[in-house]
Amino acid sequence: MIQAEHLSKKYTGHLGRKPTLALSDVSLHVKEKEIFGIVGPNGAGKSTLLKILLGLVKASSGIASLNGVSVSEIRSRQQLGYLPENPCLYDSLSVVDHLNFIARLYQLPKDLLSKRMDDVLTRVGLDDVAHRSLRTYSKGMVQRAALACALFTEPDLLILDEPMSGLDPLGRKMVLDIIREYNSRGNTVLFCSHVLNDVERICDRIAIMNKGKLVVTVTPQQLQQEEGDSPLESLFMRTVLEEGSA
Amino acid sequence: MRAVFSVALLSFKEGLRQRVLYGVVLAALLMMSGAVLVSGFFLRDISKVILDFSLATVTLGGLTIPLFLAIHMLARDIERRTVFSLLSRPISRGQYLFGKFNGLLLLTGLVMLFLSIGVYLSLECGEFLFGERFFVTVSWNSIFAALFLSFLSVMILNALAVFWSTLTTSSFLATLLTVFSYVIGHFVDDVVRFLQVNTTGVEISSSIKQVVEIAKYSFPNLAAFDVKSVAAHGMVIPLADVVFLTFYAGIYCSLLLTLATIFFRRRDLA
Repeated sequence: MIQAEHLSKKYTGHLGRKPTLALSDVSLHVKEKEIFGIVGPNGAGKSTLLKILLGLVKASSGIASLNGVSVSEIRSRQQLGYLPENPCLYDSLSVVDHLNFIARLYQLPKDLLSKRMDDVLTRVGLDDVAHRSLRTYSKGMVQRAALACALFTEPDLLILDEPMSGLDPLGRKMVLDIIREYNSRGNTVLFCSHVLNDVERICDRIAIMNKGKLVVTVTPQQLQQEEGDSPLESLFMRTVLEEGSA
Repeated sequence: MRAVFSVALLSFKEGLRQRVLYGVVLAALLMMSGAVLVSGFFLRDISKVILDFSLATVTLGGLTIPLFLAIHMLARDIERRTVFSLLSRPISRGQYLFGKFNGLLLLTGLVMLFLSIGVYLSLECGEFLFGERFFVTVSWNSIFAALFLSFLSVMILNALAVFWSTLTTSSFLATLLTVFSYVIGHFVDDVVRFLQVNTTGVEISSSIKQVVEIAKYSFPNLAAFDVKSVAAHGMVIPLADVVFLTFYAGIYCSLLLTLATIFFRRRDLA
């Protein structure tokens, strides 16, 4: 589903600033129908990796593909839903306007459009406020609106960057339930998060990134060998402290 | 094409929800009403004064789109990362830019059409208040041509706003560069003519001449699109000029958008 080989990204420095190595020789393979979580401290390169997979940032070296299609081609994003970190939607428009835009882009038939719109808005709990402009929404509501946009086309692959950011406990539970339900329908999820407990609870495999490198990839079974109440936290702390954070 | 149309429609909707647009239209209509009242002080030139004022108001109203809305909608899209929600879809960067430009064009067209109705109403009011005899020189063909050329000049500015927004990382800089382009575009023709005139005792350095020469070929000649005074005097604007300027605007915008796409494709949206 997602294939990345030896990805590196160096941001060139402007106006005398030093160049930054955001990603260094990262190889990643996410299988179909898998929930793959990436954790790491701030500046570890998680978001850069996701942006390369989405074609928003070009890798300095290495190759990446989604469903066998190179990420440099726009058709690689045909069956993709993306929730960015701090989602920014057009705040003068409503969530319905955004969904209509997506429907037009994907040429969804009208009968399917209204049914799917009702489903997704109910699912994220915005059905009552769907016609209000987003500037009247709270941060958590904007997050849910962005999630609705990501889920609307029922994509094969969902890429989520900090999906629980800005959500209250109920909102977090809702997102976790959505990810599980979405995955149970045979879809793939790749997501980054700082909330280790959530990652531990739902992921089939977890990768720890630090200083632009993918340091370790583990399964929940492998995690059971770790000590403590939260095995992922123990492994994370040990890995990051050994390497030193960015 | 579908992607361009979808982005255009989204941008058009987004633009329509900006309150500044309604403020501008209201102010423009008030200015036109004022022009009708003030024109009474200029006996014999009533129609000219009304037309001068109202055609200038249409251009000013149109200018708010590239100078305020276009930058707001494009540079801030990149600055605030709203662009992620679009480019993570099957939309290429070129389609995104062409869509944005077309959305802005639709918005410009709508605003200028609305204000053009204001021009018509101003003339009708003037005729009603002061009598038909002051309006015999009014040429609707020239008025239409002046309005159309004014629309084309704003279209070029929209393309310039798109171009500068893809080159810079700040919306303030993009606004500044678009304003500079507008000023240069309007005055470069005058400066070129001034340099061509042999003024005795005045030595102009060759480097200044070179800079003006570069500006002449790099910036659009927006003064050529300004035929408001010709229309206000009821003189004829040759069709050949209108056709030539239409091609000129079309080619200039295509070039700018192509260059903008090339630069934007190479840009990391980190």
